Amino acid sequence: MAMEPMARHRATLVDLLDRVLDHGVIINADIIITLAGVPLVGINLRAALAGMDTMTKYGVMSDWDERIRAEESGSEVLPGHQLTAQHAVSLATATTAR
Amino acid sequence: METQVQSPIEGRDTKTTGCYVYCVVPYAYEVCPDVTGIEGCRVYAIVHRGLGAIVHDCAAQPYRSEDAHLVASWVMAHHRVVEAAWERWGTVLPLTFNTIVKGADERSAVENTRMWLDVEHEWLRARLSSLTGKVEYGIQVFWDTETIARTVAVTNSEVRKLQEEIESKPRGLAYMYRQKLENLLRKGLEARAAEEFKDLYARISRCTANVRAEKVKNGELGRQMLVNLSCLVCQDRFPDLQAELDQVNNTEGFSVRLVGPLPPYSFC
Repeated sequence: MAMEPMARHRATLVDLLDRVLDHGVIINADIIITLAGVPLVGINLRAALAGMDTMTKYGVMSDWDERIRAEESGSEVLPGHQLTAQHAVSLATATTAR
Repeated sequence: METQVQSPIEGRDTKTTGCYVYCVVPYAYEVCPDVTGIEGCRVYAIVHRGLGAIVHDCAAQPYRSEDAHLVASWVMAHHRVVEAAWERWGTVLPLTFNTIVKGADERSAVENTRMWLDVEHEWLRARLSSLTGKVEYGIQVFWDTETIARTVAVTNSEVRKLQEEIESKPRGLAYMYRQKLENLLRKGLEARAAEEFKDLYARISRCTANVRAEKVKNGELGRQMLVNLSCLVCQDRFPDLQAELDQVNNTEGFSVRLVGPLPPYSFC
């Protein structure tokens, strides 16, 4: 069977939330701003992001993910990165599962 | 395009109370990627002993908001800076969101950041060099529950036996048997999922420098996420990984989503 090599997707907002909020080097030092000794990683962000569930249920987030990307990059969204309806659903459910 | 940046201290307000640190890069010179940071902040490099911390000046308080759109735009901006630095320097050590160095004891935040680069110099160097030539990919493998359930129904001997039994029973008893069958099928599917996870994990591990299993997320209509991995991949091994994933993707009932390349967020 002739096969196209596995396509690489650009990261969606959900992919990035997982990484930027949960991963990356965490500095434990006096010079880092903390709240009552707890590093301020993701504090309050989680609460805010919980509000995204509602948006994703109504499929708003897929457009929005695209829009933010376009705004952030100051340019057009790369080809091949258009979210399909199915992808939007998976994006929505993925966020809901957080 | 790159912007020339002056020496980090000269000409800068040394009373800046906080430095939001995006990432650390090797040998930063005095140039920065032409990219703006969170909320349009100017991004620059604090350079010390061949390492650069990519930062913007901010208040000595964390970013907090109840507005999901705003938070998302911060996260995207954070990523954009890390990605730009990654493209510029090839290797990057991303810091987690909201890492803010504060000024204290007569020392500015910039000086404290430089001090941190000094104290952690060896560790940072070692981490950066271990990440050279490697990138992160996200790999999610899904299976179509219905397709797999059908194969389990055919291949699982217990399920087959029960099916034959049901056919020989009067209709009134069918309901009870149906539940029994469903339970058996579910157990069969669970066992199969565990097997597939182990197999996929092993196959993917063979082509990657490091693997981190992430929490699987909910699937949608019949498609279930079986495996959610963050992988650190040597760039020259990527074709092997791609070939392995192609095989999985071409297996009936399975589909693969490959995301990346990304800066090595999950392997710092």
